[in-house]
Amino acid sequence: MDNPTFNEDDCGSDLDEISHSFICCVCRDLLYKPIVLSCGHISCFWCVHRSMSGLCKSRCPTCRHLYIHFPTICQMLHFLLLKMYPVAYKRRENQILEEEMEQGIFSPQLNAQDTFSTMVFESNSSSDPSSTRKGEAYANTDVLMSDSQVQDDGIGTLVEISDGNSEVNRNISVEEKYCKQVSVADVLCLECKQLLFRPVVLNCGHVYCESCVIIPAVEMLKCQVCQTSHPRGFPKVCLELDHFLEEQFPKEYMLRRDGILLKLVDVENKLPTICSTGTAKQGKPAKQGENLPHWSDPHSRVHRGCGCDSCGIYPIIGDRYRCKDCKEIIGFDLCGDCYNTQSKLPGRFNQQHTPEHKFELIR
Amino acid sequence: MSGGIARGRLAEERKAWRKNHPHGFVAKPETCTDGSVNLMVWQCIIPGKPGTDWDGGFFPLTLHFSEDYPSKPPKCKFPQGFFHPNVYPSGTVCLSILNEDSGWRPAITVKQILVGIQDLLDQPNPADPAQTDGYQLFIQEPTEYRRRVRQQAKQYPPLV
Repeated sequence: MDNPTFNEDDCGSDLDEISHSFICCVCRDLLYKPIVLSCGHISCFWCVHRSMSGLCKSRCPTCRHLYIHFPTICQMLHFLLLKMYPVAYKRRENQILEEEMEQGIFSPQLNAQDTFSTMVFESNSSSDPSSTRKGEAYANTDVLMSDSQVQDDGIGTLVEISDGNSEVNRNISVEEKYCKQVSVADVLCLECKQLLFRPVVLNCGHVYCESCVIIPAVEMLKCQVCQTSHPRGFPKVCLELDHFLEEQFPKEYMLRRDGILLKLVDVENKLPTICSTGTAKQGKPAKQGENLPHWSDPHSRVHRGCGCDSCGIYPIIGDRYRCKDCKEIIGFDLCGDCYNTQSKLPGRFNQQHTPEHKFELIR
Repeated sequence: MSGGIARGRLAEERKAWRKNHPHGFVAKPETCTDGSVNLMVWQCIIPGKPGTDWDGGFFPLTLHFSEDYPSKPPKCKFPQGFFHPNVYPSGTVCLSILNEDSGWRPAITVKQILVGIQDLLDQPNPADPAQTDGYQLFIQEPTEYRRRVRQQAKQYPPLV
């Protein structure tokens, strides 16, 4: 167990340094591999998975909002926390890895290189008048990224030798120093490439400004980066992240707010009809909330405790395709819809699934 | 992962409580006879709200956490036979936020539970009675109900 001998006097911890926005509401520790639910509340990967039902609809640990899809980790938040609190985040990583080894089930490995390359690709492919500003931002990212690599190594050694008090103090001072290094480049919208304003996180874990997400008239909402669809209506703003951005970058945040307000006024004057889309945006989640699959239908086949590794629906209802070649305890499963659309996403529990693997249909 | 995070979360709850908690409240994990701390059972004291009939009483409450905490709420118990419309004869508190199927959320803290129960003391919920005695007096004989409440408050004086 975590605390075989709980010491009443041991009240100090590295948590004092951490913004309350980034304390998980379930484990009350620093968020680790954070997931943002469609209601905008954040929790750790395992805290979300553990609090899901596996038999029927799940409820948000903070607001009891109903949901059925296990979202993907928000990589932007993951790397932001790693950068801000390297020591505490490393501690969490070691702690969780130990638990995962015990259970034989693993959370996805997140590689800093991957996100970086997509970001560079994004900035190259865009042709926007503000590209000079963006260029600067990305040059900045470049420097910061290489910094974080150095940090990582430095922290690794620090943690290994930190036993005495002096080392602990050194760690804290290191943490404070790196905390200030967080820049706007770490928290950009994937669409407008500016500081996130009223951020929303899609089921795939990608983050956009609320005003940058385009709602298609007929189809499901789709992520512009990975093209995966976001099930069940418009996500709510992640307020914890929004407050953090406002506090951390007050000047830039104000500029963004003013810019968006101006844009809105502009749009309203020119196209009064756009208002209806605006209200549709707000009305949608409530309407779709009623639209859950028929759980109470005795004919629907619920695969208890088994989720789809592509879209994240948990549990799978109806046809379920199980990989015959994946060796991991948790296995690799797809729901009928994802099996038929040939999804190429990696598994949600770090399975080594490849497209050559064969599936069997389980009814 | 069936490992569970109950103890880790409870250790953080205890730290947060020691740092800051509402005046007059007590919440402390049980100490076993061998001196070790059992984080799964907490002995608490809820003060009656000033200005109400419950004022002056310091009511003992035990929180029993399961390995499934915080997915499942703790069981909250007053002493057996506690007088209140929403407390079962066994002493178990009946409150929506403590019910897994209606109002419980893993984000609810120990502090919120205790303050919630303090509020419930003076604001019983007649739609959800848990004992005959308290419920009937509350509905039919308000004067007698208040006398019983004040009498009970005297039974639980401050422990100084």
